[in-house]
Amino acid sequence: MRILLLAAAALALAACVSVAPYQRGYLARPDMAFEPSAGTAEALGKTYSAKEAASGGASVGGGGCGCN
Amino acid sequence: MAATERDGSALAGLLQAALALPILVVPARAGAATVGEVGFTLLGYKEEGLMKVTEPVLWGDAVIDEKWELSASGVIDIITGASPQLVSNATGKPVQTITGASINDRRRTYNVKAGRRFGEFTFSASRAHSEEEDYLSHAFGLEARWDLNQKLTTLTAGYGKSNDRVRSSDNPALDEPRYTKEYLFGITQVLSPVAIVQSSLRYARGQGDYNDPYKLTLTFYPDAPPAFLPDTRPSSRDTWAWTTRYRRHYPSSDATLQVDYRYYHDDWGIDAHTLEGAWQFPLAEHYALRPALRYYTQSAADFYSPTIPRPTPEILSSDQRLAAFGGLSPSLRVIYRNDSGLTVEATAGYVYNARTLHFGGGGSEAFETLRAYYGLFSVSHAF
Repeated sequence: MRILLLAAAALALAACVSVAPYQRGYLARPDMAFEPSAGTAEALGKTYSAKEAASGGASVGGGGCGCN
Repeated sequence: MAATERDGSALAGLLQAALALPILVVPARAGAATVGEVGFTLLGYKEEGLMKVTEPVLWGDAVIDEKWELSASGVIDIITGASPQLVSNATGKPVQTITGASINDRRRTYNVKAGRRFGEFTFSASRAHSEEEDYLSHAFGLEARWDLNQKLTTLTAGYGKSNDRVRSSDNPALDEPRYTKEYLFGITQVLSPVAIVQSSLRYARGQGDYNDPYKLTLTFYPDAPPAFLPDTRPSSRDTWAWTTRYRRHYPSSDATLQVDYRYYHDDWGIDAHTLEGAWQFPLAEHYALRPALRYYTQSAADFYSPTIPRPTPEILSSDQRLAAFGGLSPSLRVIYRNDSGLTVEATAGYVYNARTLHFGGGGSEAFETLRAYYGLFSVSHAF
């Protein structure tokens, strides 16, 4: 229920935001990407999850491994 | 003045990319029939006194005719060294002991993903395969993305399934299944011309064999014969991971703040928090520096114990990855990026996991401090 409320609040906030297309140059910078380098994200993500109980992020279908 | 013109030119290029592509797609040159990036990453990871991992990763992604999105990666893990197998209190208190031959394992994995845009909607399917001597995984994923609100908001829904086989290099007879279904809902929102946030909730339900075939517990009692127990865990695991990522650029200093937070919860009794912050700023022409700090803390699983209590429980694991502990991991990355699309990154990092770093104190007494170093080298080319 809390998640749904948060999602509703986020959508309501979204409706208030106005950023014209010509203002989006900074958003396209590589350092603004959520995963700037796929290789780095994959290598580090697996390294940490092999030593910790927590795993999982913002994607699905990655499969498992014997490391944890 | 020259620097200002250069910055302005670069910004104009990025602006074109932003106008042409949805916000979740990597920036690339607008106007080309095919845009994308290919790269190679090499990870070297070394634990003090334990294992060593070398991991080459080959990856790439492309957008064709602004309709098709393709991405793929291939990884080989080369693992050597020693891994703790037995937790025993023979010396008076429970400690990890390394038994048997040292590890020499290779894991090969690949991921492919293809998507097709239909106006505001993008549908994609992915396939992953991972194979090592003692573990096999086949997985697929389906994802739907909806760009709305003039591409300022993106909603994502995903479903994934993984069919795995748990094996053991010590026991050829072991071949047990593990099935996992995953569900994902996410939202990405542009907050301003310089800020963007993404929040995703992933739920996964797994069933099958979760026992670690290499972990054992041996406990001596002062008034009874010793007890010996293989690692025995529940046959299912429900996990929730709520991940939020925030990016904020500061044009006056040309620097970018990157903050990631993940809350994790599962029905084994584990709650974990991961917080990572990074600050990327220009160092010189084409060069940037990115210092980062990652903090991790987790509570112990309900069935974690470094010793076998009496009466002997049905499920018990002394694997210290299920203990209560925390970790700090600082890293420093140097990034070189030129105007022809070449990017070279070098990262040095340190991992320090200890019971004293558990948030609020109360880390598991038997947790043995882990110290590890890693280096990452990555080269990629955008086209």
